[in-house]
Amino acid sequence: MLARLSIAVSILALGAATGAAAETVTITAYSGIFQDHYTKAVVEPFMKKNPDIKVEFYGLPNSAQMLGTLRAQKDSPQIDVAILDISVAKAGADEGLFEKVDESVSANVKDLYPNAFAEGVAGVAVTFDNLVLIYNTDQIKKAPTSWNALWDQNYAGKLVIPAVPDIQGTTLTIIANRLAGGGDYKENVDAGIEKLGELAPGVQTWEPKPDVYTPIANGQAAIGIGWNARAQIYSGTSGGKMAVVLPEEGSGFQINTINLVKNAPAGDAAKKFIDYALSPEAQAAFTAEMFYAPTNSKAQVSGEALQRTAAGQMDKMIDIDWLAVAKIRDSITEKWRRQVIPLSR
Amino acid sequence: MTAGTATFLEPAKRRGTGNVAVALLLPIALVNAVGFIWPILNLAGLSIREALPGGGIGENFTAANWSGLLGDGFYIDLIVNSLVVSLTITLLTLLVSYPIALYLHRATGAWKSFLTVLVISPLLTSAVVRTYGWIALLSDTGPVVKAMTALGIPAPRLMFNTTGVVIGLTEILMPYMILALMAGFGRLDPRVEEAASTLGARPFAVFRRVVLPLTAPGIALGCLLCFVLAVSSFITPKLMGGGRVFLLATEIYDQAIVTLNWPLAATLSVLVLVIFGAALVLYSRAMRLLEQG
Repeated sequence: MLARLSIAVSILALGAATGAAAETVTITAYSGIFQDHYTKAVVEPFMKKNPDIKVEFYGLPNSAQMLGTLRAQKDSPQIDVAILDISVAKAGADEGLFEKVDESVSANVKDLYPNAFAEGVAGVAVTFDNLVLIYNTDQIKKAPTSWNALWDQNYAGKLVIPAVPDIQGTTLTIIANRLAGGGDYKENVDAGIEKLGELAPGVQTWEPKPDVYTPIANGQAAIGIGWNARAQIYSGTSGGKMAVVLPEEGSGFQINTINLVKNAPAGDAAKKFIDYALSPEAQAAFTAEMFYAPTNSKAQVSGEALQRTAAGQMDKMIDIDWLAVAKIRDSITEKWRRQVIPLSR
Repeated sequence: MTAGTATFLEPAKRRGTGNVAVALLLPIALVNAVGFIWPILNLAGLSIREALPGGGIGENFTAANWSGLLGDGFYIDLIVNSLVVSLTITLLTLLVSYPIALYLHRATGAWKSFLTVLVISPLLTSAVVRTYGWIALLSDTGPVVKAMTALGIPAPRLMFNTTGVVIGLTEILMPYMILALMAGFGRLDPRVEEAASTLGARPFAVFRRVVLPLTAPGIALGCLLCFVLAVSSFITPKLMGGGRVFLLATEIYDQAIVTLNWPLAATLSVLVLVIFGAALVLYSRAMRLLEQG
């Protein structure tokens, strides 16, 4: 962690030194396939439009490490823009790491969907993703349509679930709570926890590595849950071995926000990038590229992308208030560890 | 030569070498202060800070992390489980490594060099790669389960549970154990064993009354090293535990990286340091006993 941090700092210092002529905006977001596709769909077109601005993409594996990097640089920020999960963004905003993103930063802010904003979060939503069922097409011939497929005894021992504290587990808890007829998840999720207990004995691993998509694509597991955008991409690269279903009961969103770092060295250029990232054009391009649903209601999404994201089914989605979940996350984690995971031993 | 030693011992000169020693120790002391002691103090400070929901770190100081940790059955179980698993791994590593180390100690010439390289060579591959190797071997469709099924033995679950973690870590820690054992085998002289046999001791008696006591320092060193490495390893338990095996190191990772509860992660880290301290105390006690005996 420290080593990585110091590498990060030196890379950034290097970037600042060499990029002195043109203006440089440094953004941090997820590394790996997110970085590849975001660079292609958003960063490169932005640089083509603004030849005097250079964008450095500093990829990190998860939001927590982005927050850690931003914390370490609080006194002299090297990063201008951060794209990270909404609940982590809230923690960053609470610590005063971010500047408010409003219409003074980008005129596009007024066109965003209402759930792109959250009280106390300085940034705004830049991507919507949602939980999906993923399955191995060799082992499951008929596409499942319901979340109940996870409870199917035929797949016992072949089920992979990323457990809490991973928010895929948190989202599944809220969905299970609804399936079990439990009330408002903010009140309690006991019904959902009980239902997850029935699924526990069939779970092969609660911690699929390197991710949940790999064991399903290679047949080590038959069915599981994952995030739509990544599932769509890996489904394509798996040569048809893995398929993705948005179940008929609907699903919950994961929200990435775009945040302006306080005292960002790039100044107006950073705001320009945020403005572009929220534009209908960039939003539509990234949706077509990686199947995240757009947060800008004016984004023109094509037929295929509409099919493969939740963009066409916004009405079926469970509205998860991630900031309320952040408050009950510890208790959900405790219940999983004491009442769900032990049943699978 | 003797004259040189005499001047060396003169008080004035000795003070001079003392200054040189201080000067020579200063760089490493500085590196340690900046790279080890300061972060540890920081960590200890963080462990008494308030954890806010959603990953924030509060400004207030609190003992809640510590009291929460030590008053919670889940964490007590986790600590006990960590210690039991690490001790099991240490014991198994010792059992499988001891004969290899003994054989290596007795081998000579090119054969010894060759075998030593063979023992060390796994260290050239990262633990991640070796863990994935074990995943391939132990998975439900892997050769081990297939062979057992073919022989009509009902195969237990070998992976994504404690069994998997123990198997994986035992293999990964073997080179460290073997090297530590060999380093501690210096007092084992084949002539002593021969003398014991000549005097009529059976092989087992030679082993129990001569070889074992003479190699005890190596055993103590190897066990200390492997225990410390087992408690602190988290990659293999993460990959092979299937999310069912809760250990101190994996919990620190989860709290620091996933849940973002840095104060709790810091508290657990300090606790691990305390465990290491206890292990070191036990080790030095054992060594003192061995030297007296």
